[in-house]
Amino acid sequence: MSGLRERLGRLRSSSAEAPTTDETTSSLDLSATPEIPNLSPEFIEIGVRLIDNESGQFLLRRVEYPFPYRHGRYDLADMLTCASHLHPIATRQNRQSPVDAIDPYRLLFLDTETTGLGVGTGNVPFMIGFGYYTETAFVVEQTLIRHPGEERAMLTYLLGHMKDKTHLVTYNGRTFDWPVLVNRFILNGWRQSGQEPGHLDFLHPSRALWRNTLPSCRLSMVEEARLGIQRGEDVPGSLAPALYFQYLADGNATHLHGVYTHNEKDILTLASLCVHFGFLLSGGIDLRSREGIEGEELFRTACWLEQHHNLEAAERLFVQLNEMEDIADSGGWSLALAARYKRAGQHERALPLWRRAAEKAESSSLPKLDAHIELAIYYEHRDKQPLTALIYAEKALELAYRRAKFISDAAKRKDEKETLQHRVTRLKNKVTRERK
Amino acid sequence: MNPWTEKTESVEEWLGLLRSRQELMENVTYWHTQPAKPSRSVPMPERVHPKLAEALQQKGITQLYTHQAASFQAVADGHHVVTVTPTASGKTLCYNLPVIQKLLEDDSARALYLFPTKALAQDQVAELQELANLMEADIKTHTYDGDTPPTVRQAIRNAGHIVVTNPDMLHSAILPHHTKWVKLFENIRYIIIDELHAYRGVFGSHVANVIRRLKRICRFYGSEPQFLCASATIRNPQEHAERLIGEPVALVDDNGAPTGEKHLVFYNPPVVNKQLGIRRSSVLESQKLAAMLLKSGIQTIVFARSRVRVEILLTYLQENIKHELGKKSIRGYRGGYLPKLRREIERGLRNGEIRGVVSTNALELGIDIGQLQACVLNGYPGTIASTWQQSGRAGRRQGSSVTFLVASSNPLDQYLIQNPDYFLGRPPEEARIHPDNLLILLDHLKCAAYELPFEEGDVFGGEKLTDLLEFLAEEKVLHRVGSRWYWMEQAFPAHNISLRSAAQENFVIIDQTEGHRVIGEVDRFSAPTLIHEEAIYLHEGVQYQVEKLDYPEKKAYVREVNVDYFTDANLAVELKVLHVDLESTSGPLERQFGEVTVMAKPTIFKKIRLRTHENIGSGPIHLPEEILHTSGYWFSFSEEQSGKRSANDMQMALLGLANVLIHLAPLHLMCDPLDIRVVPQVKALHTKRPTIYFYDRYPGGIGLSQRLYEKHDELLEEAQRLIRGCGCLSGCPACVGPIEEVGLLGKDLALSLLQGMSERS
Repeated sequence: MSGLRERLGRLRSSSAEAPTTDETTSSLDLSATPEIPNLSPEFIEIGVRLIDNESGQFLLRRVEYPFPYRHGRYDLADMLTCASHLHPIATRQNRQSPVDAIDPYRLLFLDTETTGLGVGTGNVPFMIGFGYYTETAFVVEQTLIRHPGEERAMLTYLLGHMKDKTHLVTYNGRTFDWPVLVNRFILNGWRQSGQEPGHLDFLHPSRALWRNTLPSCRLSMVEEARLGIQRGEDVPGSLAPALYFQYLADGNATHLHGVYTHNEKDILTLASLCVHFGFLLSGGIDLRSREGIEGEELFRTACWLEQHHNLEAAERLFVQLNEMEDIADSGGWSLALAARYKRAGQHERALPLWRRAAEKAESSSLPKLDAHIELAIYYEHRDKQPLTALIYAEKALELAYRRAKFISDAAKRKDEKETLQHRVTRLKNKVTRERK
Repeated sequence: MNPWTEKTESVEEWLGLLRSRQELMENVTYWHTQPAKPSRSVPMPERVHPKLAEALQQKGITQLYTHQAASFQAVADGHHVVTVTPTASGKTLCYNLPVIQKLLEDDSARALYLFPTKALAQDQVAELQELANLMEADIKTHTYDGDTPPTVRQAIRNAGHIVVTNPDMLHSAILPHHTKWVKLFENIRYIIIDELHAYRGVFGSHVANVIRRLKRICRFYGSEPQFLCASATIRNPQEHAERLIGEPVALVDDNGAPTGEKHLVFYNPPVVNKQLGIRRSSVLESQKLAAMLLKSGIQTIVFARSRVRVEILLTYLQENIKHELGKKSIRGYRGGYLPKLRREIERGLRNGEIRGVVSTNALELGIDIGQLQACVLNGYPGTIASTWQQSGRAGRRQGSSVTFLVASSNPLDQYLIQNPDYFLGRPPEEARIHPDNLLILLDHLKCAAYELPFEEGDVFGGEKLTDLLEFLAEEKVLHRVGSRWYWMEQAFPAHNISLRSAAQENFVIIDQTEGHRVIGEVDRFSAPTLIHEEAIYLHEGVQYQVEKLDYPEKKAYVREVNVDYFTDANLAVELKVLHVDLESTSGPLERQFGEVTVMAKPTIFKKIRLRTHENIGSGPIHLPEEILHTSGYWFSFSEEQSGKRSANDMQMALLGLANVLIHLAPLHLMCDPLDIRVVPQVKALHTKRPTIYFYDRYPGGIGLSQRLYEKHDELLEEAQRLIRGCGCLSGCPACVGPIEEVGLLGKDLALSLLQGMSERS
């Protein structure tokens, strides 16, 4: 075989973005040391310092936000008063390790910037940003590694800060940031000792509330639409890996300035989001006063509050929903609410919701049949008025035909019609029998 | 025989009937009988855990066959082991025994089982669970593949004692997430690789690299597992296992399982046109033999080489015996059938409800279908190893079995059918892999770097690692810090690397005569000449014209036509020798092995009228040139030898010889016939002489032409024997090629060129 380098060179010349010069001499230089003692001015200008610990070196930036500090709609200091209300979320998310109470000083707000997607072993968090409360301020710290060799020192530092914390506050940290960090611990030869940290991952509560009302549940979308935060110019998180690779290639830390800002803002937003949910659970937010809030969001919020054992606040919202004039029902909340009343045996509260939904269906070009079917069931079995039930069932069958041309699944279409036909026939028999 | 039902009592009786039928026996060129062999066993070793011994006893196993005992001992002695035994010889116990023994002794121990396909993995789990139940032991065995529900994955990762998976899953899901498998990798004691022979060629070269990665991860977690491999009969099981796992391996091949008497019958369909050398269709003859067997009540398996042939044979057979047996008792079996249907067929074969099955080599691997009585091979399966493997499907531990090899008209089949000694006197082929193929190696190096950083002094494959790592660093895939290289890219490398890449490269053929229907596939390298636009593509005897070739999307759209011509494309192949690695001269013949670049570009196509073969038109083909860097072997003739011949004669002689050689080459290689290509050149650029080139049709080469370089003399001898032995007058498809291709003198020209060579050397 010809020389390996020659063959490798040929491989390169056949690829499109091949460099034109063909380097064949060995560029191995073992004297290059991983320790880079001097910090470039581009780091110093944004307040980055070099830290030495028992595992090596890494970079650290620390910013304090003394109280009061307002980030969007909320003051971060409000966290100190409303943190205890987050307890139901913590309980729900950490069934294995329940806690008695949430102590704001023992929360670590965490967000990492990584070199890739997914939680494979080759995905390296090059920046770990975290925030925590002191008596007088909210502190953000951001660690950065200038190369993967500094990872161990950075992780050691992070573990130091996790020691007295009970929960990690994250946005999707439970399935992303934390597993990625666990990979790194294992790769560094550390095994888990003692308790896993608890999670307060706000992605899931955010989805529960805004899944149907926001175009997406990305943090940047949520903060702008619901927390009143305007980021202005921001490097999107998806660009962070490319910017880091640029820095690795030319050593110019200016590439990273935007990443630092982005990560810092994410952590502040996490705290702000935390306050939002704290207030929501404490009943400190009057959603009724929010302008333009949709029934859908009220309904989802009410259900979420109910799941988190805040029945009183939930009930207030349910009552309000019943009274709402405008029912722009994008997510189908009125039927869901009616179903809820039905389960609770409160048919009298479900009835008006069904009637309104039925009215709406009749004027729709792609109608839902559910309200009519519910009404038919109610009148047949509850109210014992088979004739009224028959009217609703026949109407439903009519709607089913109108609907049929939009349903591509032939079997489903047929099934729907057959079930309805069966119901209509049975009701007709019943009515005839009663007349006799 | 029962005169009322025509059913025979036994295979022996049926064979007696066959012998009395002169019109069939005329076509039998050879009849080989392997006598029955009694079993050789030893008492259950005392070391076997009492629970395990008892469970085996419940299954009726009180003794071990010699090979089972030998492998049990070899494992206990701490060796990596490869066991080579034929189908149905109790092979799985060779590795299950030590694994279960270990798990009974140590609950924290773990084992990883690798099978080439998902179906085999599921069979295995069922067997292991049965054993665990008999022992009432808490041994958790799970398959981990694409079908495993996400909800149970975590439980398997943490608590599964035995994880059964395939190399693809290991490559793309387990290794890149090894941190989730800490329990497994810290405690892994055994790695089982069954169907070792399936890991050859490009696939095997990939798998060898996956195993390098696996070993690297095990080392990281401080474990050093033993490899327990099992293989069907190949020539070099030990060498192959050693190359695949990169460790010395102990060989166990003393088969102690009993076998009944076996008959191997070579059957050559009669010649129907001597001038053109055309024989009666092997499909029809196979069908005839299978129908005779089935009508006599003999459970039979028919192997065919392509999916289409399976379907044709199945249709004929079902029609032929519909009065004797229900349609449901003859089934097809091939890739593309749904798993549920396949399980149903396997079950039917085991319990005897299904009397006959027509299959591709899909049933060659160790799927449990019980043992049948007769086997009909429609065409030589391509390798001696496959032939034994397929014929092993027939043969019970008691009673006789029979295998028919029905030759097709291609030169390799004809060579074997006329030279039975060659087949019988010869060990099966070698399985070859070339894990250091640069492209494959680099692909897996990326994956390995993703999994763990590399460090100065690490070893991965046979090439100089630092050079490779530096290359990847220059390509900005790795980042070097001091003496370490780290993965530094956004991508997840395993996603872009498929272990079975060859299959993905196929072009699909879509018939749009009525709606859209996929009717077949053409491999990438044949596509430019077979399915260029305006080509006439033949499929099951029907003509289709290619209307559009979507080259990037690998789709050809065709429409049914009825025309009186076929098309023939000219492919301009240019071959450049980049580097000569080996050479040797014997007399006037010079042969070399080295690196080559092959540039292939289709130029024009001709329309040729059926029957008269006159040229009735032509057209250009606009397709990009294919460039392939690979390894090749070539030999050239001296001026002295060629001097007497005109250029045209030389052309015909070389072409004829090349046709023969390319068909014979697979005799020495365990490979798909399309993996190796041949190019004859009257005046080659490199040697300036008449030359025949062989090259591996995979970028970087996979060791095939190197093997041919070593086997050069044998290869030429076989070629001479084949051409001499062929009964045709002046060339036919079974030797140098049809006279339309090599001319009226093609056969003589090729033969005299060969003779000239052997006389002088």
